[in-house]
Amino acid sequence: MKEDFEQLIETLAEDAAAVKPAPHPLRLSMKWLGAAAAYLAISLTLSGPRPDLAQKFHEPWFVAELASLLGIFIATSLSAALLAFPDLHQKRGIAFSPTWMFALFLLVIYFAWHADSPPAPLPVQSLECTLSITLMTLLPAAWTFHAMRKFASTHYRLAGSIALLSAFSVGALWLRLHEINDSIIHVIQWHYLPMLGIGLIGLWLGKVLLKW
Amino acid sequence: MTDKTDNLEALMRQSLDGDKRAYAELLRETARLLQPFLAKRLSFGSEVDDLLQEILISIHKARHTYDGMRPYKPWAYAIARFRLQDYLRDHYADHLRHAVDLCEVENDLHEDVTGSAMSYESISGEINKLPEKQATILRMMHQEGYTAKEVAEKMGMNESAVKVAAHRAYKILRKKLER
Repeated sequence: MKEDFEQLIETLAEDAAAVKPAPHPLRLSMKWLGAAAAYLAISLTLSGPRPDLAQKFHEPWFVAELASLLGIFIATSLSAALLAFPDLHQKRGIAFSPTWMFALFLLVIYFAWHADSPPAPLPVQSLECTLSITLMTLLPAAWTFHAMRKFASTHYRLAGSIALLSAFSVGALWLRLHEINDSIIHVIQWHYLPMLGIGLIGLWLGKVLLKW
Repeated sequence: MTDKTDNLEALMRQSLDGDKRAYAELLRETARLLQPFLAKRLSFGSEVDDLLQEILISIHKARHTYDGMRPYKPWAYAIARFRLQDYLRDHYADHLRHAVDLCEVENDLHEDVTGSAMSYESISGEINKLPEKQATILRMMHQEGYTAKEVAEKMGMNESAVKVAAHRAYKILRKKLER
């Protein structure tokens, strides 16, 4: 057995050429955030922002909703980058920071829902919103998973879920800036509740794509 | 030992630069570090050795995720824990595949295996051919009239183990008698 060990160590050592260490997760997430921001800007330019966007920015709960969604996008991006490393780059607290962002987001949505009185009329579209966000999610999800596969996640399910939620938040941001809709109930039902399903799909995708 | 483990970061930095000797030394030190960690959690020495080799290969594959700037040990242990969990998951899944459902056992125990149509005596020859423990359990339950709980107490086993052993014995008998 000792001989087997020595042989294995020698084989691995023989195979060990110089290796360029992976970039710092902060840099990695900045890269993803930059790419996603560019993607969001291009998509908004092509699809056009909602005509009353400037006016909506005067509504505090709309701004708070967008800010917390942006917070989720940034926190999940950073978390996904950390989760791609076996030891979470020894920054466990930051890796699990999306939990706090999601809690804050829920709180904001709850207050926005309370402030929506009398309730704004529901728009005609429903499932189309979820599908549009999902379609917008595909590209950022693909590049994030592609990048994460180059690392070695020991939390592959969670990493998959967080990466997919990060991509989904790009789509959700885009639709919130594009769609003419004031109904928070619609937004909860068709924009944000599907996040639960996306999180579950992410767990599965993580197992399929990130296990090593 | 402290000096050596403190030196692991330096060894890894040299390894990342392509120093094969430093890398071999690092792997040896890592194996020494992880061996007691695995030995505490696994029952057999052969399991420890197999898993340790797998962990070293994983460390090799993931070495680019270490930059030499943060402590080495948490990084190596994270990989070791990950592989250990994987191993235990597979191991227990395998055991579960071969396990007997206790409900199935309970059903069998309620069956009148040695009823009037087929008394214990009429199949005692076949019972005696069973492994000793199974034969004893059937004898106690069906000839001497003990319950599974009483058999368990008398034989120093737990009740579930008695039921599983009886269930396995019934299966063997059923096969033999159906021929």
